[in-house]
Amino acid sequence: MRPVEVGHRGGERAPRSTRLLGRHELPIACEADIVLVRRKARSLAQAYGFDAFATAAITTAASELARNCWVHGGGGAAVVEELYDGTRHGLAMEFRDTGPGIGDVEWALAGGHSTTRSLGLGLSGSRRLVDEFALETARGEGTTVRIVKWKRF
Amino acid sequence: MAGSETRDRLTADVYDIPRRRAFVELGDDDLARLAALRPLAEAHIDRLVDDFYELLLGQPDTRRFFPDAHVIERVKRSQRAYFLGLFDGKVDEAYVDDRLRVGAVHERIGLAPKWYLGAYRRQLRLLLDLLFSGVPDPVEARAAFASLQKLVFFDMTLAIDAYIVARDDALERHQTALRELSTPVIRVHHGVLLLPLVGTVDSLRAEQVMDTVLVRIVEEQARVLILDIAGVPVVDTRVAEHLLQTTQAVRLLGCEAILTGISAHVARTLVQLGVEIATMPTRARLAEGIELALAIVGKRIAPAGAGAGSAAEHAGPDGAGRA
Repeated sequence: MRPVEVGHRGGERAPRSTRLLGRHELPIACEADIVLVRRKARSLAQAYGFDAFATAAITTAASELARNCWVHGGGGAAVVEELYDGTRHGLAMEFRDTGPGIGDVEWALAGGHSTTRSLGLGLSGSRRLVDEFALETARGEGTTVRIVKWKRF
Repeated sequence: MAGSETRDRLTADVYDIPRRRAFVELGDDDLARLAALRPLAEAHIDRLVDDFYELLLGQPDTRRFFPDAHVIERVKRSQRAYFLGLFDGKVDEAYVDDRLRVGAVHERIGLAPKWYLGAYRRQLRLLLDLLFSGVPDPVEARAAFASLQKLVFFDMTLAIDAYIVARDDALERHQTALRELSTPVIRVHHGVLLLPLVGTVDSLRAEQVMDTVLVRIVEEQARVLILDIAGVPVVDTRVAEHLLQTTQAVRLLGCEAILTGISAHVARTLVQLGVEIATMPTRARLAEGIELALAIVGKRIAPAGAGAGSAAEHAGPDGAGRA
């Protein structure tokens, strides 16, 4: 798959060796699975002591991206990773689908556009909620979105 | 009858008998071979059934499904019919119905597939013993057992499908019940309705909430609807969209919508998402929302004994003189 957009906020991107402390793969095969994905995100965020704002951000982003995966990609999987970079804990979430892909990534990320008459803010909004955001998509092959939220001190 | 309910749900797949038979390689020759052995099966049927129930009654996990002699007598009778059915020489819709009914009944009484699929093992062993003791030619006995095995596996695939369908039906009924339970529209005051949203707002529920609310607004001639989202764990763009659409529809009915129960982190998350809900009046707490709603219908909450309330007038120190 061709990486078409990589963006991140919140300082350098994992320059030190990042350790993987745990990995959870969850299927997104029906609408109810969206709830399971965000519950997992929330429980991990709470377990690692993320504050209420960060927990809401992680849970909401998980909800948005899992829904995109289901609505636009026809389902797929979410992988939640527990990270530690030597000083901070982080949660990474990857959402993969094998749907039609996103034709115009810039357009989709700009926000306020929708192909399903929804608000069209899910993708752009999630990007603002997290520290790192990477999107890979290819026509007819699917879309993968990976986000990371690091815990503040 | 459980069998006919199941039948409605899975007609296309389950009743594709040729396809199912082809997969377990169950041919007409197999059925003919078994039909020829029916006299043998009839001669030993009582012992077969008793041996089979020895397993089910001897294991604590299955014993509890047979509380008394009456039940045992009944299930033994149907087991007898089941065993003999294997030697009928035909697999038609009635046969499939019967097998589906078995799976559905097991789901209803809560007998887990691991136990009844496990019980097929004993069944096969008993039939193996029967054939090898009752058919003199070992080559014939072997062929007969192979045919029987195909038919028993054909039965197992039906039983498990019926079990799954019955389980899906139960889940669907529960979900429907939950959805209905979770849309309480409360009348706070004349012309003021409260909709406390709780839990997950999925697409089905969003539609149902909208329908319920609109009907109630018309019925009650409500002028204000308070939407309280304190019980919604994640307010994402889907929830926001639902709130905006509900507000629009509510306004078309001449009713005002007020949003309450927004926590600090929900407020911040909504702003970061870029959701614009400033079009509707919002209050952090439900109590403030109720005050605003009452103000819209020209009422207010006043401390007892203050203002022009009639109770204060009648019960005042010199109230007696006024009456």
